[in-house]
Amino acid sequence: MARIAFAWELGGEYGHVMSCAGLAGGLELHGHRIAFMFRELRQLAVIPEARNYDVFQAPRSAREGQGITMPASYADIMLGCGYSDPAELIALVGGWRALLERWKPDLVVADFSPTSLIAARTLGIDCVTYGNGFFVPPRASPLPAFRVETQPDPVHLARSDARALASVNAALGAYGAQRLARLADLFETREDFLCTFPELDHYGTRETSGYWGPRVRFDRGTDIAWPHGEGKRIFVYVKTELPQLDALIDVLRASPHRIVAFIPGLDEGRRARLAGGRRVLADRPVKLDRFLRGCDLIVCHAGEIATGALMYGVPGLLFPVHYEQYLTARRLQQLGAAGWIPPAATPAEVALGFQQLTADSRYAAGARAFAKRYAAFSPSEQRRRIVIRIGELLADRGAILSPAQTRQEPKR
Amino acid sequence: MARALFAWELGGDLGHARRSMQVARALRDLGHEVAFAFADLTPLAPLSGERGEWFQAPVLVPSRTPSRSPLNASAILLNRGFGDAPGLAGALRAWKGLFALWKPDLLVSDYAPSAMLGARLAGVRRTAIGSGFSTPPVGEPMPVLRNWIATEEGALRKIDATLLASVRDACERVEPRAKPPACAADLFQAEQELLCTWPEVDCFGPRTSADYVGPQDDPASGAHAEWSTEARPRVFAYLKPRDPRFMAILDALRSVAGEAIIAAPGVGSEAAVSLSSASFRVHAEALAVGPLLAGADLCLCHSGPGIVGRALEAGVPLALLPQQLEQFLVGRRAVSAGAGVMIAPEDTAADLRTWLAQALARDDLRSAAAASPLRVRVPSSAAQRIAQSFGN
Repeated sequence: MARIAFAWELGGEYGHVMSCAGLAGGLELHGHRIAFMFRELRQLAVIPEARNYDVFQAPRSAREGQGITMPASYADIMLGCGYSDPAELIALVGGWRALLERWKPDLVVADFSPTSLIAARTLGIDCVTYGNGFFVPPRASPLPAFRVETQPDPVHLARSDARALASVNAALGAYGAQRLARLADLFETREDFLCTFPELDHYGTRETSGYWGPRVRFDRGTDIAWPHGEGKRIFVYVKTELPQLDALIDVLRASPHRIVAFIPGLDEGRRARLAGGRRVLADRPVKLDRFLRGCDLIVCHAGEIATGALMYGVPGLLFPVHYEQYLTARRLQQLGAAGWIPPAATPAEVALGFQQLTADSRYAAGARAFAKRYAAFSPSEQRRRIVIRIGELLADRGAILSPAQTRQEPKR
Repeated sequence: MARALFAWELGGDLGHARRSMQVARALRDLGHEVAFAFADLTPLAPLSGERGEWFQAPVLVPSRTPSRSPLNASAILLNRGFGDAPGLAGALRAWKGLFALWKPDLLVSDYAPSAMLGARLAGVRRTAIGSGFSTPPVGEPMPVLRNWIATEEGALRKIDATLLASVRDACERVEPRAKPPACAADLFQAEQELLCTWPEVDCFGPRTSADYVGPQDDPASGAHAEWSTEARPRVFAYLKPRDPRFMAILDALRSVAGEAIIAAPGVGSEAAVSLSSASFRVHAEALAVGPLLAGADLCLCHSGPGIVGRALEAGVPLALLPQQLEQFLVGRRAVSAGAGVMIAPEDTAADLRTWLAQALARDDLRSAAAASPLRVRVPSSAAQRIAQSFGN
């Protein structure tokens, strides 16, 4: 039995929590002890299976986002989250170190969590990274740009990289660890569980042999049936912050299709406007594994759920609100499997987008073609293999018995 | 030897962190173990060299529809995320994890209400320290924050009920066997409460049954500056550069002061230089206020409880520009004692130059400040009081 700490430091929403809980569940079945060191704790409410895990607040900058308006690279994101001030980074690393020193994990699973990697490095604790292409940058120096609508400015990229590296090295030095030659070296861990495919990678295809496929966790939630009747089956999962929420509701009301919508925190007025006829509102997250097999279109923000639905051959009408989602939306569009609506779109553009995605069969064909390309991909098999690989890493370090040793044990 | 975890969650700037770190250091010198759980870890960075230990305090999600003018302390907690039961439950899970990990004998809370609730559920003893605002007088319902405005008691009861319902929901999710708070007042009370201020500058003071130990920070700590001319009047100013009136305040000050020294932490060293002259010096860092106040004719500030107390200890009258409620309440105390003048946060059209000139001309302010009872007060050590409580 080993002790495994999941560290989630940056980003938001439910994807990190759901994915970590899925993997942790597999590790727990192998007898490992789990701790969640999470950026946001509210989401624990949707993972009751984590009831027995130790839970801690991940360190986070009190000045997050200040001074960085348009991040172009992973280094820019770091600078906006405590890395622009060496003293602040030293303090954040100190917070991680206290958690790791006290809880004593054999392995840290870092999900978009660069500072936990620094702390683990100062303590000699093994790490793996676990996340989609956006959460783990390619190992280039300087770290490459992810921003695509403008030509990356090499001077800016190099400067950001150098500033972040200087802070990282100040923190490593403050805790007696060896300095890094390149910022990219921070992401060198025992294993990079890069959970995407080359076609979906936010950075484009990178020189790596280890694509593990997207993180899909569709086996949790409420079972719900599609409304009876005619029309396409459309699943809507958006947040109330969506600028065109009212325009979308109007479009859905006017459509002849069957709709299941999960919109957390939707006010009574809008609920009343949307529900009725062939439109059903879910009050809790929907269990998607079987449900998506009958789905003709997903309407969402282009988070990990969009790529997950793609693996089921479901095309998307996407409303990206973060840049990471925007990159995913562009990827899916390039595959001919989605259309996306920019945050400043008008109601007429929302209606047009919806019309195109429901009327043009090429999107569904594009989505199905991609799913067929990876027909053997299975979310549960992916998790099983990651669990096995983690077991091998732990056995290498003597943290647990190797599978061979386990087999030699006499039966009791 | 006992173990004390110092927690700070709410309230901006460095006052809470500085006080906690000062008391913790003194407690450590008495042979006890200390660690910190702060909302902002940055102030702790200097402790990395001495193997200090600290954790991130759990982060609540603030209300999306906060009350702009909270009626009582319960309403402040609702604004800060206590109305969101799943979010509060998440924070309580993390406090539970931290208490099990670090095993404190005592929580020392400096405006850390979810830590206080977590400690209550975990059976960890609590000491509350602070300058008054974070340990409000309690009642059922929790009393108004602005006692000069008529408020329906029913409105206060409704706020308390909303808070209590959410808190109980969160407690049920995390620790169903523990006894949840019975009333809103339970959320604010600790086994030991030490007010690190004086009755005369306590925003809710004077309180009859409170334990005032006085400020715990060292007035000689901070960068050193000194008066360099004989020009009068001398004005010491402690200002926040993010105040929208910052430049206007400096202009007014420049026109009335013989010599001025301005501590404006956060202004940036380049800006500090460009704003300065020989008799008007802006500093980008916190200054040791004790020696400067000793030679000042007026203290201009935002009416934080710490600086107001220090000015009155030095017998220096005050010109006050509060930015928020706590500062306004502290300012009212100084004004009612006759030792200060104040412009309320909502009065944005005030003529700062005339206001400052008039304040400098008033002998009555000077006399009242010189006669302040704070001039002879000596703080007692909060750390010693905490250490004594370990024996109980």
